[in-house]
Amino acid sequence: MLTVSHLSKQFNDQPVLRDISLTLAEGEVLAVLGRSGCGKTTLLKILAGLETADSGTLELHGQDLLPVPPNERQMVYLYQEPLLFPHLSVFENVAFGLRIRKVKEAEIRQRVTELLAELEMSEHARKAPHQLSGGQRQRVSFGRALIIRPRLLLLDEPFGNLDAQTRAAMQQLFGRVSRQHHITSIFVTHDSREALTVGTRLGYLERGRLTSFASVTEFVADARTNIAAELSFWENIRSTASPAVAE
Amino acid sequence: MKPIKPIKPILPLYALLVIGLPLAGLGYALLGSVGVVGPLAEGFTGQYWQALGHEPGLAYAALYSLWIAGASVGISVVLALLLVLRAQATLQRGPLPGLLYVPLVMPALVVAFYLFQLLSRSGWLSRISFRLGLTNSLEAFPELVQDAAGVGIILAHVLLTFPFLTLLFQAIYQESRLAELGQLTSTLGASARQFRRRVAAPLLLRRAAPTVLLSFIATLGAYDIPLLLGRPYPQMLSVFIITKLQRFDLRELPAAYLAGFLVAAGLLGLILLLLRLANRSRIEAG
Repeated sequence: MLTVSHLSKQFNDQPVLRDISLTLAEGEVLAVLGRSGCGKTTLLKILAGLETADSGTLELHGQDLLPVPPNERQMVYLYQEPLLFPHLSVFENVAFGLRIRKVKEAEIRQRVTELLAELEMSEHARKAPHQLSGGQRQRVSFGRALIIRPRLLLLDEPFGNLDAQTRAAMQQLFGRVSRQHHITSIFVTHDSREALTVGTRLGYLERGRLTSFASVTEFVADARTNIAAELSFWENIRSTASPAVAE
Repeated sequence: MKPIKPIKPILPLYALLVIGLPLAGLGYALLGSVGVVGPLAEGFTGQYWQALGHEPGLAYAALYSLWIAGASVGISVVLALLLVLRAQATLQRGPLPGLLYVPLVMPALVVAFYLFQLLSRSGWLSRISFRLGLTNSLEAFPELVQDAAGVGIILAHVLLTFPFLTLLFQAIYQESRLAELGQLTSTLGASARQFRRRVAAPLLLRRAAPTVLLSFIATLGAYDIPLLLGRPYPQMLSVFIITKLQRFDLRELPAAYLAGFLVAAGLLGLILLLLRLANRSRIEAG
């Protein structure tokens, strides 16, 4: 479905993305792990059409995407913050993509109502964004993207600002809705646990170079993901704590 | 036992200054308009209020002032919005941001005087037009100041208000992260025009509504610009009231008090609306 080949980008002679190549099949969620400044945001923005690549090709269903403007790509980019429209209600925020496409009012009502119910946001439909919690805002942002049935969803650490409990709930919600709607997405995060929770495919981005993993085992085994070290840390804690508990 | 807090006199004094004294003035004007106070007061009478229906001067001055304030603030808002939404790159670099501050430090009277020199029939533009042969005489130059429609007054107010609103809109643009919202809306499928019309303009206008209303109130009550660039008739409210108050005929005073009372009451109503808008804007901004 999505084929990225030899994508490169530099800012002021500083390489940000180096020869990135990846393929993504329909319905897959590619979770890309990487530290701050590794080029994650630039990669997503190039895919969304918000940045231009210096070299490389980008194809979706065989269509060359590079000359297509962002508003015609049907690829939604979600920021770390929900960035809701503060002057519109929850309902109107979700309906935005349909209104600009001049969809009929009855269809807008039906589709937005159904989606809000799915996101467990029906009772908040008339509220303004400032009346919502962080998790609820992120749900609305998610709904606003889903309503236009995007060909590709690009998520830039969308749950990074949420507390641990809300974050876990949102990861579950994202997984459920992704499967239900058969959404293809690239989800970048700096949290290995989040990558493993949401991703059906896994990658690691470091200094602009992307490594794709064939399996979860490979991903866990790669020292750069730090998962093996973390597992060993918890194992040590358990082994040292167990005798003390036994005593 | 709780320690007795010393009374802080600053807040009550400030309240007296900004609420107490204006309300006292309003009360005095009301009493003056019914003949209870004033140099020639002869006891309660409703004759000045009844005369209001037969004397169109006040209503005409009010309509004229509303036209001037509406046109001035309207044009300023449109110009500021156009600049912020269509010339973002120019607003972020180059000399324009600095130049926008220049009119803000100029007193209103100086701007009025400058426009009078520039636009009157004996002014610079008229003389240049005559020299270039564009007009047959100085009198042939179009009436741009002291004209019936108030073009000169509107121009002076626009010159003072639009740079201020541009700077305000620009600050809101950055604070509301409209650049990022623009990118987001484009990935949702919106064109640049749809973003401006459905997101940016409504958001800027909602957040700036209290200040826009404040500019409207200030223009409505402006005195020095209409005094220099306006005609003796029609007059803006402030000039109309001052002219009546300063007449030698003391019998005109109650009518002037009445006009002053009505204008002040109207402005207080607008200020109450302003407070509600400011409160809404504060809540929305989080």
